[in-house]
Amino acid sequence: MNLEATSQLSIKGIRDGLLLTLAPQPSFDDAFANLSNEIQNQGDFLRNSRIAVDLGGRIVNTDQIGAMQEVFANNGIALWAILSHREATRSAARDLGLATRLPGSQMDLQGNGVREPVKTHDGEAAADELANAILINETVRSGRSLYFDGHVVIVGDVNPGAEIVADGNVIVWGKLSGLVHAGANGDESATVSALDLSPTQLRIANRITIAPPVDKKRVPVPETACIKDEQIVAEAWNR
Amino acid sequence: MGHGKVITITSGKGGVGKTTVTANLSTALAMAGYKVVAIDADIGLRNLDVVMGLENRIVYDLVDVVEGRCRLNQAMIKDKRLEGLSMIPAAQTRDKNAISPTDMVLVCDQLREEVDYIVIDSPAGIERGFQNALAPADQVIIVTNPEVSAVRDADRIIGMIEAEEKGPGKLIINRYKPDMVARGDMLSIEDIVDILHIDIIGIIPEDEKILISTNRGQPLVMQNGHAKETGVAIRNIANRVKGDEIPFIDLAVKDGFMSRLRGWVTS
Ligand SMILES: Nc1ncnc2c1ncn2[C@@H]1O[C@H](COP(=O)(O)OP(=O)(O)O)[C@@H](O)[C@H]1O
Ligand SMILES: [Mg+2]
Repeated sequence: MNLEATSQLSIKGIRDGLLLTLAPQPSFDDAFANLSNEIQNQGDFLRNSRIAVDLGGRIVNTDQIGAMQEVFANNGIALWAILSHREATRSAARDLGLATRLPGSQMDLQGNGVREPVKTHDGEAAADELANAILINETVRSGRSLYFDGHVVIVGDVNPGAEIVADGNVIVWGKLSGLVHAGANGDESATVSALDLSPTQLRIANRITIAPPVDKKRVPVPETACIKDEQIVAEAWNR
Repeated sequence: MGHGKVITITSGKGGVGKTTVTANLSTALAMAGYKVVAIDADIGLRNLDVVMGLENRIVYDLVDVVEGRCRLNQAMIKDKRLEGLSMIPAAQTRDKNAISPTDMVLVCDQLREEVDYIVIDSPAGIERGFQNALAPADQVIIVTNPEVSAVRDADRIIGMIEAEEKGPGKLIINRYKPDMVARGDMLSIEDIVDILHIDIIGIIPEDEKILISTNRGQPLVMQNGHAKETGVAIRNIANRVKGDEIPFIDLAVKDGFMSRLRGWVTS
C-alpha cells in the first residue's frame, strides 16, 4: 500500500483498529503534512477505521493533535489514541479526551513498565466513585503494574516482577509473588490476602516488609497480611 | 492464502538460544520431508546464516526483498545438503526500521504458498523488530534458560505476546542441566512452569556439541549418530510442531516431575 511506500509512516492492524507509526526523523509538521497528503490520496481505503497514532519522542501540543484529529475526521477516520513516550504529548492528547496507551499493553514505548490505571467496564465514571472493587481474571505477569483506587481481586497469580497497587485491599486467588501495596493512600486498615502469600515486597499504607525466603517444600496456606501493633503481620486465613 | 504455517522463535533476553533453535528446528522439519524456510528477522545482528553454514552464499537479504531490489525467490538460499530447506538472511548493517510488521506479514503470506513451515528467528523481545517477527506468527515459541532472570524476561514477553493476541505461545527450555537441578542449583521444569503457566514444547539439554556444530555451520540435527540425546530433544520439538503427541521422556523423567508435567503438556 502507498502509505508504506513513503516509509515515513507505517501502519498495522491491531485489536482496536489501526496503529500508525511515524518514522522518528521528520518533525511533527513535516510528518503531518505528508500524512495529510497520503490520507487524501488514499481516500476511501481508511474510511470508517479507528486509528491510534504513535508519535514517538515528539513533543506535540493540543492544537497540533487537534488539527490531526480534524484531518482524520474529514476523511471518516476516528483518531482515538496517541502514543508517545513524552509526558507532554500524552497530556496534550488526554486534554482532547484521547487515550494514551493501547489496552492490554504493559510497557511504554521504551519498554518500561507503565502503571495502568485499571478501570471498570463503565470506564472512568465508575472508577471515580471510590471504594469499589475490581476483578482481574488473569495472571499478572512480570513488567506489569496495576493501580486501582479501590479494592483489587485477582483470580490468577501475581508473578515476580509484577506490581499491584490499591487504595483498598488486595486479594489474590492464586500465588502472590510480585510486589503488592494495599492502602496506598495511607489506609492502615487495608489488608492483603492470597492463597499463597509470598510477595517479593509487601506494603500496607506507609509500611514495608520483605517476605522471608520461601521454603520450597512448604505447603502454602491462605494468609492475610495486615498491620498489627505498628507492624505488618501475616496470619493463616481460617475463619 | 497458502497452507504454510509461520512459527516465530523469540525470547525475553538475548543469548538464550533462539538462533540455535531456529536452525535446528528448521533442519529437523526439512529432514522430516517438509518444505521449510528459515527467516532471520534480527536485522543488524544477522547470524542465522552462519549457524546454518550458508553465509558465503548470500547475495540478497530480507530488506532487499521488502524494498523491491530482488524477488523473494532470489533471496531464498537453498541448502544444498538438504532438500526442502532454505533461508532468507537478515540485512547486515542497514537501518533496523527498514522493515515494518506489515512487510513481514506480506512476505510470509507469499511464502505460505510455497512452503509448509516458515520459521522466524527474531531479536529478543526487548529489541526493536520483535513486533516484525510477531506480526505474521501463527505459533510463537518462547525460548528460555533455566535461570531466574531469563524466566523473568520470558514472563514479560509472554505478557506482551498475549497483549498482541498471539499468545500464550509455547515454551522451550534450553541449556537444561539435570544434574544441577537434582542438586537444587538450577530452576527445575516445575519451577519454571509454575511461574509461566504455558505449555512446554521442548527441553534441550546443555550440550557442548551445539557450540561445535554452530562453529562448523552444520545444525546438530543434521549430524547422524552424534549428540543423541540433544538430537532427539530437537526432533521431538519438530514432531510436536507437526502436532504429534510426544511424551517428555528424555529429561523430565530424570527430573522426577513426569507426572506433574503430563498434566501441563496437554495440547
Ligand atoms: N543447548 C545448548 N548447549 C550449549 N550451548 C548452547 C545451547 N544452546 C545455545 N548454546 C550456545 O549459546 C550461545 C547463544 O545461542 P544463540 O542461539 O545465538 O542465542 P540467541 O539467538 O537467543 O541470541 C551460542 O554460542 C550457542 O552455541
Ligand atoms: Mg540470535
